[in-house]
Amino acid sequence: MKRRDFLKFIGIGGVGAGAGFVLGKVSKPPGAKLIPYLIPPEDIVPGVATWYASVCTLCGAGCGTLVRVMEGRAKKVEGNPGHPVNRGGLCALGQSSVQALYNPDRITKPLKRKGPRGSGEYAEITWDEALKTLAGNLTELKSKNESEKLHLLASPLGGTIDRLAGEFVSAFGSSNYSHYGLFQRKNLAFANLSAMGTASVPHYDIENTKYLLSFGADFASTWVSPVNYSNGYGKMRQGAGERGKLVQVEPRLSLTGASADEWVPAKPGTEALLALAIANTIVEKGLARDASAWRGVLSRYKAKDAASVCDVSVERIEAMAVEFARTRPSLAIAGDSVSSYENGVSGAIAVNILNQVAGNIGIIGGVMPNGDDLGNGKKIDFGRKISTLISAANAGKIKTLIVYGANPVFTTPKAARLEEALSKVPFIASFSSFMDETTAHADIILPAHTSLEDWGDDFPDPGVAAPVASLIQPVVGPVFDTKSLGDIFIELAKAVGGNVAGKINAPNFAEYLKASWKGLYSRNREMAAGTLGFEDFWNKALQRGGWWGPSRKRTATVSARAGEHLAGTPARFEGEEAQYPFYLIPYAQTAYMDGRGANLPWLQELPDPMTSVVWGTWVEINPKTAASLGLKEGDMVNIESPFGKISAPVYLYPGIRPDTVAVPIGQGHSHYGRYAKGRGANPIEILPFKEDPLSGEAALNSTRVRITRGATGERMVKMEGSTKELGRGIVQTVSPSEFKRMKKEVV
Amino acid sequence: MPGFLERIAGKLKSYREPGYYTKLDHKWTMVIDLDKCNGCEACVVACYAENNLPVVGKEQCEKSRAFSWLRIERYVEGEYPDVKVKFIPVMCQHCMKAPCETGCPVYATYHNQDGLNVQVYNRCVGTFTCATYCTYDVRRFNWFTYKWPKPLEAQLNPDVSVREMGVMEKCTFCIQRIRSAKDTAKDEARPVKDGDIKPACSQSCPTGAIYFGDMQDPESVVAKLAKSPRRYRLLEELNADPSVIYLKRVMGDGTSSHE
Amino acid sequence: MAPHHMSDNQTGNAISYKEVNDDVVRTMTETGKWYYIALAGAFSGFLAFWILPWAYQIYKGQGVSGLNTPDFWGIYLTNFVFWIGISHSGTLLSAILFITKTPWRRSIYRSAEAMTFFSVATAAVFIFVHMGRPWNFYWTMPYPNQRQLWLNFQSPLMFDVFAISTYATSSMIFLYFGSIPDLAAVRDRVTGWRKQVYSALALGWRGTDSEWHWLFKAYTFFAVFIIPLAVSVHSIVSWDFALSKVPGLAKTIFAPYFVVGAIYSGSAGIVTLMIIFRKAMKIEKYITLNHFDKLGMLLLVMSLLWSYINVIEVFTGWYANTSAENETLIYRMFTTPYAYMFWLMIVTNTILPLLFIFKKCRTSILACLVVSLGINVGMWLERYLILTTSLPRKFLPYMWHDYIPSWVEISMTLGSFCFFAMLFLLFVKLWPSVSIYEVKEDIGIPMRRGGGHH
Ligand code: SF4
Ligand code: SF4
Ligand code: SF4
Repeated sequence: MKRRDFLKFIGIGGVGAGAGFVLGKVSKPPGAKLIPYLIPPEDIVPGVATWYASVCTLCGAGCGTLVRVMEGRAKKVEGNPGHPVNRGGLCALGQSSVQALYNPDRITKPLKRKGPRGSGEYAEITWDEALKTLAGNLTELKSKNESEKLHLLASPLGGTIDRLAGEFVSAFGSSNYSHYGLFQRKNLAFANLSAMGTASVPHYDIENTKYLLSFGADFASTWVSPVNYSNGYGKMRQGAGERGKLVQVEPRLSLTGASADEWVPAKPGTEALLALAIANTIVEKGLARDASAWRGVLSRYKAKDAASVCDVSVERIEAMAVEFARTRPSLAIAGDSVSSYENGVSGAIAVNILNQVAGNIGIIGGVMPNGDDLGNGKKIDFGRKISTLISAANAGKIKTLIVYGANPVFTTPKAARLEEALSKVPFIASFSSFMDETTAHADIILPAHTSLEDWGDDFPDPGVAAPVASLIQPVVGPVFDTKSLGDIFIELAKAVGGNVAGKINAPNFAEYLKASWKGLYSRNREMAAGTLGFEDFWNKALQRGGWWGPSRKRTATVSARAGEHLAGTPARFEGEEAQYPFYLIPYAQTAYMDGRGANLPWLQELPDPMTSVVWGTWVEINPKTAASLGLKEGDMVNIESPFGKISAPVYLYPGIRPDTVAVPIGQGHSHYGRYAKGRGANPIEILPFKEDPLSGEAALNSTRVRITRGATGERMVKMEGSTKELGRGIVQTVSPSEFKRMKKEVV
Repeated sequence: MPGFLERIAGKLKSYREPGYYTKLDHKWTMVIDLDKCNGCEACVVACYAENNLPVVGKEQCEKSRAFSWLRIERYVEGEYPDVKVKFIPVMCQHCMKAPCETGCPVYATYHNQDGLNVQVYNRCVGTFTCATYCTYDVRRFNWFTYKWPKPLEAQLNPDVSVREMGVMEKCTFCIQRIRSAKDTAKDEARPVKDGDIKPACSQSCPTGAIYFGDMQDPESVVAKLAKSPRRYRLLEELNADPSVIYLKRVMGDGTSSHE
Repeated sequence: MAPHHMSDNQTGNAISYKEVNDDVVRTMTETGKWYYIALAGAFSGFLAFWILPWAYQIYKGQGVSGLNTPDFWGIYLTNFVFWIGISHSGTLLSAILFITKTPWRRSIYRSAEAMTFFSVATAAVFIFVHMGRPWNFYWTMPYPNQRQLWLNFQSPLMFDVFAISTYATSSMIFLYFGSIPDLAAVRDRVTGWRKQVYSALALGWRGTDSEWHWLFKAYTFFAVFIIPLAVSVHSIVSWDFALSKVPGLAKTIFAPYFVVGAIYSGSAGIVTLMIIFRKAMKIEKYITLNHFDKLGMLLLVMSLLWSYINVIEVFTGWYANTSAENETLIYRMFTTPYAYMFWLMIVTNTILPLLFIFKKCRTSILACLVVSLGINVGMWLERYLILTTSLPRKFLPYMWHDYIPSWVEISMTLGSFCFFAMLFLLFVKLWPSVSIYEVKEDIGIPMRRGGGHH
């Protein structure tokens, strides 16, 4: 027990006395099955908080959480200090998960469509009726021998619930279970598959690196595992060792870029070439550690050729190469500015090669490949793209579509014509708890719990170069008439009957989960060590938030085979330069991410860290460009691509290339509750429908746009008064050389 | 001399002891390492969640009435491509010579024995003087009665006081957490240890940029960090003697230009 | 100053004692249609522009105003300072002129004193208007209470509470003392309910020598007492701002600046009021061009003083050359819309009053009206600018935010003028608004002992 534990232990006495009456529906959790972080409560003690360990599911990182519960209500979600992924921190999105739980716009009951599709008119029905209707539909499908025409589309789920869903679909006789999300980073996974043999993101040891070369990885905001990386970042800057350096390559200065020591605004689409040119320079200068396989391939990418294409000077490329190779350990990470193109896989591979050449793979402070230690990692099927789903729907190959978690109507471009395809699907069911744009097309809605009400588990991907299994437990009773996602599948299986019911025969998901963990426990010796049997292990895991093993160091080599997928050319952008003079960079905003955060009021009111804009969309334009277009801040403009147009107010942003404009993703919802609906614009709408042909990841940076005046729309509201410090010494700095001479504080 | 007179005399004498007026039980201090902070604003949301800060909506935000007790100020220097962006989290600095305290006519804001600048919501009559005098613009006013739509109010933290329309509020250094840590320590008959208390912002910070502790304890992390050569305080020349210490960000000659 | 009888002016010979009594009492008893229309207008303006919006504000919260972070003080406090300023010259002027035995004081001082009292009242209401929880206003009073809560005597707002309540009380007593003989005169001429009321108010005044003696003593005492009081009140008001650290507010020159400004605007206020008053009440006989001549000189002197301090204020800011001071000055002097206000203020307060160098202008009613109104507008702008250009540009540029007054605030500003007008209209009906006995002194025959005019 550590010092913090007292906080958890005692809760905070006094003030809350007198609460505990009228708990209404928000009543106590099913206490018998729950194990709080520390001591089990005898009952609910008014004014005394109980902390439950769980996992944040708002993004895929899998940060461990501690949820503070008082009188049966979730009060606060904090990072679990013991959890190896986030080590106590938690990002803005994760902390807002209580607002998802208590969101006033949740779907409170099963619903059946009344009006035409997309109208949002629904009638409330009972769970019995809902399950019967869906089961009836499925049985009919089965009886017509059209089982294959059932599709399940889910967010990138992992762990036991994913297995259950997969089992359900296959037992039903269909093979169509796909995952979809806007920021799945499948390009990274694919690149790693071809390079290191596992389709997962490795552990980037930012904490121990001394030179971090980030290709647009905005890990301070939402990229892959932001809290883990930020934690590493803090230690890299001011940890025990020497201070590490951060160099950011991206056309638009991201939040992470703002903290970088150097910003390299390479031309959009050429970052992969830059990476290869750096790698080649390393080889040419004889600084490479392991270049045998790559010398030939790399020789094509001369710094002087790349310089003009990438808009980065030869000297700078050479300086970066030398520093990258000489600083030990160094680390390059393939973020969105290298992998969000049509040939994103190629970009990610280029960065892998760079790491390989500099000898950064499998070392502390470098890339540490993750293995699937527990055999439970997310499985990515690169063949299952959203485009496959759309063509299947258009070809009439989908009769029943079940959607959970994914919101493709919002996150695919208009050019994909997804809505049209959906209209050809005779029956759509959604398990979503929120009326998002896709759910609004459903014929029937069976709302599932949010993660604070549900059971589950998580095997974080990317891992932290150690086996980690986290447990999700319900910390409060259901707020509304919703059901556990697992239970929906189980009850549906019962209702469908036949071999589906035979295959899935757990009484409920909690049991199913426990059984699954039992299997895990029996297979894994590390887990078993030091426990008195499974029950003891299970209770401890519930208490701590899961189980994690010791760190493992693996090594790998980027095999020459990976070179097959190296495109070696700048990425293509739609739209003629003459007509569409600006590159469009849609990016994941800190709070909204891919749009999922837009219905949470805290996040709507959170000033964007780089622009301080709240409650809306904006378009970032370089002040010089704006001046040449005669635009000033706040002017509404049209952003037009060959595929459509949106409008947004101008924000003058000095941290962006003059030939580039950027729009945050996340707003522009047509549904999704009172806080999100009808606010701002969605830049995804005007993108071409492009995916990386290898991985299926959406290519966000793939069009040019033009900016025209004459738009109307909501005003932009920003919180900042002035961005100028006016020499008042508000944020004081010391130069790195001065810092080196300073005595380090000993803590 | 009768007993009570003696007591009074003793008291009077103690008032004259050197240091009597500046002696504190604790001196809670925050140290923020600007070289770690990457501006992610997780701390801002943590403060909203912990302290029941209302969300006011777009129109009120436009009027600059957002409630964030803690804000990340961002300053930009230079032009493309030599742009430098700097972040600084600013909350109430718990000034030891707080300008706000002299302003309040009814002592709704005063300094307590822990070295905190505290706000007594129930005593506040809303003269705005404290907020005007505050040199850091951290005070927030309840312009209206703010309500959460059901069931969002279920999230509200019962440990923090309710503020009604017309009163001023601001960062409390999460006094409820300080209090609970003290209660725990008292129950266990020991003094509060360094690290017992983590305000919400400090707890949530992914980079670990915010440290909190007792400056009077020479062994505490903050006391050690406060000796850092990178130490400075915000607008120190105004002599408000803030209790928040910043550690300078390392930046500058590493940033080479585009060309 | 040597005793000086206005023997050869327009008033002097033409009127008799009876006429004085009649004229003054006539203003109180004979009420024309226009009076009622004016009163009804002022009253409904007061209701519609002040009371209703205020009720709305109390119900909804201060948020209906344009105040924000960091502009926590706006029009409400502007008005507060403005009205306190207006209040200044009334009593202060009356007292100074009394002590210096300036004869032309007599016909104006009563209404000037009344003006003081009414503008203090208006100002005081603005304190409540600007408070977040006005229903708790009594917490600012030192009263014994069970929880042993005490007040913060360091707070300039606390000084304010004491200064203003003392000032309001003293000026009320000053006004009342001076009026007793006149109230008696009125008592003797009216009938019905009026008789009852004035009998009570006159405190049994018979006009004996000893009564005159004591009255004069008390009056002199108050006159002496009120001069430092008035100076301190406005100094204290200035400390509300000057004791902060805000650039543009934290100025050591603020106390004299505010006192000068107060006398300046107050005198201008008197001039405006006199012009309206003598016209409306047809008492040109008592308020003569001579009076305007003298007041014009006073305004000229005040204008020069005020301008000097204003230049010094800008100069010190500029000389300090800190970013905070510079930004505030730039914001005030060269940024729209404040630049317009600032330079308009310079025109009305520094340039226009220079007209008063010429006697012709001082004795022209039109010129007096234009200049005095101009000064009042300018002085209001000065107070407005002090707050609205300092607070939006405090130390941390990230928090800079402009202040735009809302309709509620603007409406209450209008309402305050209605309120003031209403009080004044009631005053002229219910109180002898020109000092009967002292005007009689001017006519020449001494009638009391202990005066200074023998
Ligand atoms: S949470 Fe930490 S890193 Fe993020 S803005 Fe706050 S202080 Fe900075
Ligand atoms: S920061 Fe402002 S509110 Fe906080 S103690 Fe200092 S002056 Fe007072
Ligand atoms: S210490 Fe507490 S109240 Fe203050 S900013 Fe941090 S979280 Fe908010």
